[in-house]
Amino acid sequence: MSNPIAHWSPVGQERAKEVLGQYPEKRSAVMPLLYLASIEHAFVSDEAMREVAELTGITPAQVQSVASFYSMFKRESVGRYLVSVCTSISCHLLGGDQVFGAVEDASGVQHGATGDDGTFTVEHVECIGACGGAPAVQVNYELVEGVTPDKAKALIAWLKDTAPEVVLADEMQHLFGGQRSFDWGPTEAEGAVGPVPAFGPFGSAKEGR
Amino acid sequence: MSDTPQTVSITINGVSHDVAAGQRLITAAESVGEYIPRFCHHDKLEPVGKCRMCLVEVEGPRGKALVPSCTLPVTDGMVVDSESAVVKKAQEGVLEFLLINHPLDCPICDKGGECPLQDQTMSWGPGESRFIEEKRTFPKPINVSDIVLLDRERCVLCDRCVRVADDIAGDSLLTFIDRGNHVQIQTFPDDPFVSYFSGNTVQLCPVGALTSVDYRFKARPWDLEHTPSVSLVDTVHSTADVQTSRGKIIRVYGIENDAVNEGWLSDKDRFTFSAVHSEDRVTVPLVRGDDGFEPTSWSAALDMVADKLGSFRGDEVGAIGGANNTNEEAFVLGKFMRSVVGSAHVDAQIGDGVDAHFAAALTPRATISDLDEAASILVWGPDIKETHPVLYLRVRKAVRNGATLVVASPAGTGLDGIASHVIRYRAGSGADVLRKFSAGEAGHADARSVLDSGPVVGLVGRSSLAEDPRLAESVAAFARSLPDARLLTLLGRANVYGALDMGLAPTLLPGRVSATDEAGVRRLEDAWGPMPEHAGRSTLDMFAAVTSGDMKALILVGSDPVRDCPDPALAAAALDASDFVLAIDTFVTDSSAKADIILPAAAWGEVDGTVTNLEGRVQRMRPSIQPIGQSRPLNVVLDDISVRMGVDLMAAKVEDISTQIASVAPAYEGITFDHLTFVAGVEGAVVPLAGATQPLGFIPVEVSVPVVTDRMTLHLAKALYDDGVWNRNAATIADLPRPATARIHPRDAAILAVADGSEVVIEGSFTLAVAIDPDVAEGSIVVPFNQVATKGLAATASVRVDAKREDR
Amino acid sequence: MTERILTARMDAHPSDSNTIARYEDTGGYQALRKALTSMAPQEVIDEVKSSNMRGRGGAGFPTGVKWGFLADASPRYLVVNCDESEPGTFNDRQLTERDPHQLLEGIIVSSYALGVDHAFVYIRGEYPKAARRLMAAVKEAESAGYLGDDILGSGFSLTVTLHLGGGAYICGEETALLNSLEGRRGEPRLKPPFPAIEGLYAKPTIVNNVESISNIPWITMNGGAAYAAIGPERSAGTKMMSISGHVKRPGNHEIVMGMTWRDFIYDLGGGIRDDKELKCWIPGGASSPWFVPSVHLDTPLTIDDVAANGSMIGAGAVVVMDETTNVVAAAHSIVRFFAHESCGQCTPCREGTSWLQDILERILSGKGRPQDLDLMLDVSDNISPGLTWPPAMTTICPLGPSATAPVASIMRWFRPEVEAMIGEKAAHV
Repeated sequence: MSNPIAHWSPVGQERAKEVLGQYPEKRSAVMPLLYLASIEHAFVSDEAMREVAELTGITPAQVQSVASFYSMFKRESVGRYLVSVCTSISCHLLGGDQVFGAVEDASGVQHGATGDDGTFTVEHVECIGACGGAPAVQVNYELVEGVTPDKAKALIAWLKDTAPEVVLADEMQHLFGGQRSFDWGPTEAEGAVGPVPAFGPFGSAKEGR
Repeated sequence: MSDTPQTVSITINGVSHDVAAGQRLITAAESVGEYIPRFCHHDKLEPVGKCRMCLVEVEGPRGKALVPSCTLPVTDGMVVDSESAVVKKAQEGVLEFLLINHPLDCPICDKGGECPLQDQTMSWGPGESRFIEEKRTFPKPINVSDIVLLDRERCVLCDRCVRVADDIAGDSLLTFIDRGNHVQIQTFPDDPFVSYFSGNTVQLCPVGALTSVDYRFKARPWDLEHTPSVSLVDTVHSTADVQTSRGKIIRVYGIENDAVNEGWLSDKDRFTFSAVHSEDRVTVPLVRGDDGFEPTSWSAALDMVADKLGSFRGDEVGAIGGANNTNEEAFVLGKFMRSVVGSAHVDAQIGDGVDAHFAAALTPRATISDLDEAASILVWGPDIKETHPVLYLRVRKAVRNGATLVVASPAGTGLDGIASHVIRYRAGSGADVLRKFSAGEAGHADARSVLDSGPVVGLVGRSSLAEDPRLAESVAAFARSLPDARLLTLLGRANVYGALDMGLAPTLLPGRVSATDEAGVRRLEDAWGPMPEHAGRSTLDMFAAVTSGDMKALILVGSDPVRDCPDPALAAAALDASDFVLAIDTFVTDSSAKADIILPAAAWGEVDGTVTNLEGRVQRMRPSIQPIGQSRPLNVVLDDISVRMGVDLMAAKVEDISTQIASVAPAYEGITFDHLTFVAGVEGAVVPLAGATQPLGFIPVEVSVPVVTDRMTLHLAKALYDDGVWNRNAATIADLPRPATARIHPRDAAILAVADGSEVVIEGSFTLAVAIDPDVAEGSIVVPFNQVATKGLAATASVRVDAKREDR
Repeated sequence: MTERILTARMDAHPSDSNTIARYEDTGGYQALRKALTSMAPQEVIDEVKSSNMRGRGGAGFPTGVKWGFLADASPRYLVVNCDESEPGTFNDRQLTERDPHQLLEGIIVSSYALGVDHAFVYIRGEYPKAARRLMAAVKEAESAGYLGDDILGSGFSLTVTLHLGGGAYICGEETALLNSLEGRRGEPRLKPPFPAIEGLYAKPTIVNNVESISNIPWITMNGGAAYAAIGPERSAGTKMMSISGHVKRPGNHEIVMGMTWRDFIYDLGGGIRDDKELKCWIPGGASSPWFVPSVHLDTPLTIDDVAANGSMIGAGAVVVMDETTNVVAAAHSIVRFFAHESCGQCTPCREGTSWLQDILERILSGKGRPQDLDLMLDVSDNISPGLTWPPAMTTICPLGPSATAPVASIMRWFRPEVEAMIGEKAAHV
């Protein structure tokens, strides 16, 4: 059997193997593999879905069926920073829509789109579980709570200017955040290196540091 | 035997009913005349409860609750209200939800007139739309395959097509994508819905979302006439509704015959019909003239035929074919040969089958539905996905329901993916592997032990034309020894089982009687007069006898041995050497092209009669259109010839023939049209009926089969779509044969120094692209039978294979 | 009186409550030791049963009773639901980020009790920090011998796998979660069979919420009776409540149920921002029908009292709206949420939630028609017949009916306001 992911990065291949070993049935690895594939391909491309299909023994159509169900598997190219603004009820009540407008203005990118220079993809999203720190924003799924429209503009400008390699929630919260849902506990040095949840076993976490 | 009650009592709308236990409420209600509307529910699919149209109120511990009747199993004492105001409002609500985004393009929709959505809107739906928002739109129909079109705007997302593709056929190529209000049915880019069963999704679609390219805009449902009949493209004989309009067959739908096909059809069953209307049909008698065939009149042609056939000694004439005909036609052919021509040389098999006694009278014989009860299944023979696709579905169903499957084949088969064990053996070495397997040796212990769980159903046949037919008998002998075992043989040719039952074999007389059974011969002589004294010859023996001068004339009955037998060169040589060749056929084929006279035969769809499938089930095959042009049923043709030869066969009317069969063919005692129509209903009847006799009971025994170990052994296998004359002439499926390749194991590729896609030459003259396939047994080469690129390749046990080198 | 079961540690030790050192230092992993060395699995189950703890995921089904349904076949699985996605809730996030060992110990003890050797935690994809903290805890616990093979020499072994969701609220529904964990679309399954009989990979499976499982160490240590003694009889124990919206002090509060809504909103929540008037609140997440001060301020905050008033505590998410709130816009935000999160498999939810969203959008844009009010109610009625509580359903799962809660609520309490937005009277800014 040929290896369908021989062209992946060594760490990506290693993680794919790890992930496949974590479940009693291979098909369970579809979602983590889609995250891994979207790191390798920059998004969940058709090729990525074919690879995941081969790894898990289901058809590409079945992988597509799964991938398209979930909001976080992006089937089009995503910018370096995926900016997600919550507009669900608590954020809505406290100005989430205005924050979203500010993000659109500052980035020049509309909902669901990616800017021409590939820096930003912007979206308004449903509840991200930060209602006590509304309005909330995520950059590559790293959280900032208590954001105002002005702070949101500043956040976009900062991302553009400093182009952080690793997006750190605590850093953004310190610079652009306000009210938090709760005390986050100790400061974390781990963050996101791309528009995929920064979670060691599946995602990107600390690389690049 | 089970302790669960056979029936339960339920109350629907205040009326108490006893209904069969174990069914879902929607089915139980329907069985007592209470129809509950539905879109997603289908009796042959797992319930999903998605459309919510079938909501009814059922009383529970906390009062009445709305529940979908398609998912709810009936229980004793269940109280159901299907007409309450709450139910009516819920159903109207669901219908309104389904309609708000529906395009309502009924006037131009193929489904208009037979559309449950349209019908239920009339019965249950609200008057006018309250939906003023913008409808969901999708680009209009997309081709999900060469055969099927998808209109996503019309789709109600009932999941029937996905379940057919996924659960039933195992072709998970059609799926839902996206979420919520954006959900749609889709294929993967560049991965079309290629399935041998795709047409079933069209038939089951409750709206006009899935349509077949060949039917699109062809007819309105109310213009169609329906003829219940059977498909004749393989030996399963799926029950089918042949639908016609103004003398043309327009489409074929499956009929739910649980004993046979449960409503399913292969795409070949469904789409072969268009060949009936092919412009290439032979429509007038043709006589060979100086410049090829010339049309002539029936009477002139029949005079010539009678004159010619009368000029030979009986044993100088042979008849080949008859497997594409009805039992009645086949019976008349046998009677004509034996009692008018005076020849025992008749053979409906063309060298690709098995021993006629084995095929016709194997005991204990299984029925198709025995698979439903099987604990374990052994398939050792052809790839039934290719040769018997609807039987393949039945095996899949059995495995889904818990049966364990063991498959043996020299190359990968469609069933491998669901088999618990796959025995891969080098083509030609089957006998050796069988010995080891049956003894549980050589790593086969696990697979062998699976078959210790009965009931066992064994499906046995020749895995390819190059395989020794006696291997199947040895496999059957082994399988027969398994617990509670029943067996089916896997001949593939249309009505070959009916033809054998009618005596179209050198060793058989009508009604499963051995040609050497003295009592049987005497009984037949009482009806037909003296039988020929000589022993009959098989097809290949006839060809040899013609080339050696022992025989002089051949009658080809709907058979094309030059394309369709294991030794095409011998067939061609024999036809060339014959003094006289008569072809009674529907097309000019490579074989009938060598005839002196071609008489136009009426085809499937045009003739009336019965046919017998691989389990011995007799079904009525009804005509739906008049024979095309001047074509005539075989029995009429032979009746006319025999009259000219001084004998009246009394064979002009099928009812008369049917009566004759019932009186002289023991296993067919009691099988008349009346019986099939009024007693057996849609199911047909397995012969012999209780009380009737079957003189021949064939008990398979292990036979000695030589093991071939030459460098490359040949696996010459049939694929569903091939270059057969009917496939070629059926527009919808004509382009579907896969490109022919030579499949070999990676190690053989290395030895031959060939790569995927490079070419090999077989026997010095057949050039094919190589497909490297680890599922092919090492040392074997897999080549498809009867494709353009393999035309003329003989089914020898081994072949010479050379890598193709560029000429310098 | 113990009123802090879950949050005492994190409040006392904000800088390191997530570490194993602090956890052990404050009594952590003693429950595991106790269970493994001195309790039979059934004894643990019995304690959970006698605790009367009702599942904290929303439905409020007693956890011990649910455990009792687990079929006797192997393998069996424990799946922890950390797919917290209901608008208004963020307490599982806090429990997982701030005290992951408490959750993990709960998982290990529960697995021991249930005869499980492979447990899964399904964490929503938008919670990477929670996933990271729990992963770190898993690694620490493995090194310390609390997890892996032959835990504490007891012969009991357990693997814990963390599974990240992909952004789909519906996966919080337990059977949708199982489908998702199997690598399928997160569509709720037909029930029966229930997961306890046929769950993950068609094997017996218990699905419990993070908060429920986080209580297990305490119950194991202190006994079910001690837990049952806390709070009102049918709302035993403490409950994590999230409060957000127009309050001065949004956040999570671990409470003993039984206090009034007035106390909860004005004391714990600090009252209304800018001292505005309270207009209404959502008592139990976006799916719950709204409460209004004129009727409900002095209703006790218990599972049963809230239910008796036609709503629910659910996962404990209170969203407070002040007098300035445009309730149509608020309802629209919630309906849009459910339309976006509908899995789409059943007709009334797929079509009905979007239709409601469309109508509300039209009203908000000044294009409402007088008949739209009754139309919205009737469309809602076709998703949830009678608009009663608990909701009747024409749907497979409760997501569709959830979308009718805000519609029914604004029509019940604020109909004149909605009417005022119709036609010429439309004055939406």
